[in-house]
Amino acid sequence: MTHPIPRRVALGAALGLGALALARPHVARAAAPPINIGFFTETKPTIIVKAQGLLEKATGQTVNWTEYGSGAEINAAIVAGGADIGFGSGSSPVAAAISQNLPVWLVGLVDNIGPAEELTVRTAANIHTVADLKGHKIATPFGSTSHFRLLGLLKLNGLTQRDVTVIDLRGDAIVAAWTRGDIDGAYIWAPAKSKLLASGGSVFRTWDKLDAAGYVIADTIVARAGFAEQQPQAVVALLRVYGQALDFYRSKPEEAVQVVAKATGVSAEVAAADLKEYDFISLHDQLTPEWLGTPGKPGRFAEVLHRTAQFLAEQKSIKSAGPLSLYQKAIRTEFLKQALA
Amino acid sequence: MDAAEPARLWRWRAGSVAVLAAAWVGATASGLVPSVFLPSPGDLWDAAADMVTEGYKDRPLLDHIGLSLLRVFTGFGAGALLGTALGLLMGWRGWIDALFAPFIEFLRPLPQLAYLLLLIIWLGIGEAPKIVLLFLAALPVAAVAARDGVRRTSLARLAAARTLGASEWQLFRHVVLPSALPDILIGARLALGIVYGTLIAAEIIAGSTGLGWMIVDAGRYLRSDQVFVGVLIIGLMGVALDRLLVLAERRIVHWAGR
Repeated sequence: MTHPIPRRVALGAALGLGALALARPHVARAAAPPINIGFFTETKPTIIVKAQGLLEKATGQTVNWTEYGSGAEINAAIVAGGADIGFGSGSSPVAAAISQNLPVWLVGLVDNIGPAEELTVRTAANIHTVADLKGHKIATPFGSTSHFRLLGLLKLNGLTQRDVTVIDLRGDAIVAAWTRGDIDGAYIWAPAKSKLLASGGSVFRTWDKLDAAGYVIADTIVARAGFAEQQPQAVVALLRVYGQALDFYRSKPEEAVQVVAKATGVSAEVAAADLKEYDFISLHDQLTPEWLGTPGKPGRFAEVLHRTAQFLAEQKSIKSAGPLSLYQKAIRTEFLKQALA
Repeated sequence: MDAAEPARLWRWRAGSVAVLAAAWVGATASGLVPSVFLPSPGDLWDAAADMVTEGYKDRPLLDHIGLSLLRVFTGFGAGALLGTALGLLMGWRGWIDALFAPFIEFLRPLPQLAYLLLLIIWLGIGEAPKIVLLFLAALPVAAVAARDGVRRTSLARLAAARTLGASEWQLFRHVVLPSALPDILIGARLALGIVYGTLIAAEIIAGSTGLGWMIVDAGRYLRSDQVFVGVLIIGLMGVALDRLLVLAERRIVHWAGR
């Protein structure tokens, strides 16, 4: 109080210095803006890229890793410009995004989900056929690939959501509700799935029939269109380092499992078991007609997205599905091609 | 001055709404703003018409509204009644206050999402955890308001009643309660607002019904049009509920503030 001015000056100087210190890194890196990646903590090779800082090393750019709760949240972040890359977004949120003409490009695949997401039923509930599901409560996270499959299963078997009570629960809540005996089944992935199986659950196999009927689900790598246009080299670098992580897992599975286990906070056994469930598609295979195809020659995955979108439109989750060409145009394989070159 | 003011203020209200509406129409009609960010009035009308006629995800819109209202009224009703009763006792007797205050103080600022999973573990996924969540949101607010109301009772009036030979019960019934009533009703209004704000948190517990769940679900697919319709319904209902309480307040404590 006796020396108000010096104190104010000192405070101002401190603030100014602080601001300068904060601003400096940005000035130094102005040429290469940060890459904002939306990811999930999953027991997959994608997490190796983050854990070992592969993208940071490859590009020299700052990479901001932000964890999201679902592919839908990543879509919203991409629309808002907060995320540049969705690393592991499921095929159904991606199909929803493309159908609504959001600026999203599918630049690569992570895995064909196959048996990794599956219906688990309480063994004591005596559910052996799909018709046995009638009157039971089955939980799944709405908007997810598992939700898409579960609704597909009901539709294929002529059941509606009046016959089976489908409940919207996240993974941790599914485990809680299962433990209490509130639900008799859940369509979900690891680690929730493994926990259900360990406490009185058994696998109710649906995935092969659903895949055959067109309810294929996969995890993908998407990029904000504006970002991919401005920084194509960053997209290529991400795909390249993801390829390296995949190779690392293939060639030294024990070491890779350790990295994945540490990054996701599960035991090595759990990580190894989870990793085995997924069919990770090599970058090379992604460019075949079976999956994404090549520039100018779209592969069959566009049909998967198209069919997914049609189903979502039937469910009234999205207004309408676009023509097949919309999905073919949103799959941009030139980055994969460069990553392999 | 009091009589002339509302009429003039109404013009300002109508004006602010009209300016916002004009900006909305202008921004969407010019195509400057993509519909994901801000759906046009036409989009909104279509979405609303579809939700009214076809319902939302296998359920009529009125079901969603009805279920949400039922949850709000049950949770708010139980929480406000019990909270007020508790608050009156807390204000009346210091030792009761000492007994419950730690829990009330702890519960009041607690974000409901923090214990959402615990409610599922304890109470399952039916209506119980949803209503308990709303109950827990209303209870501390009502309790604190009632307690403070009792404490504000004028000591002079209490002393006067005592010298006239009023019993403890008569003091409570005829002196303390009437003077705490305005605070209790303000507490109820606050509690309703908080319960209403907690509705979305309550309905994301194993949802598939209710306005809160509907908004969250539509948001998952970036259906901004449906989200806006849901927000409008929930907002207008909130205003209506608040007005109802104000009306009740004016009838019950018509003397307040005079």
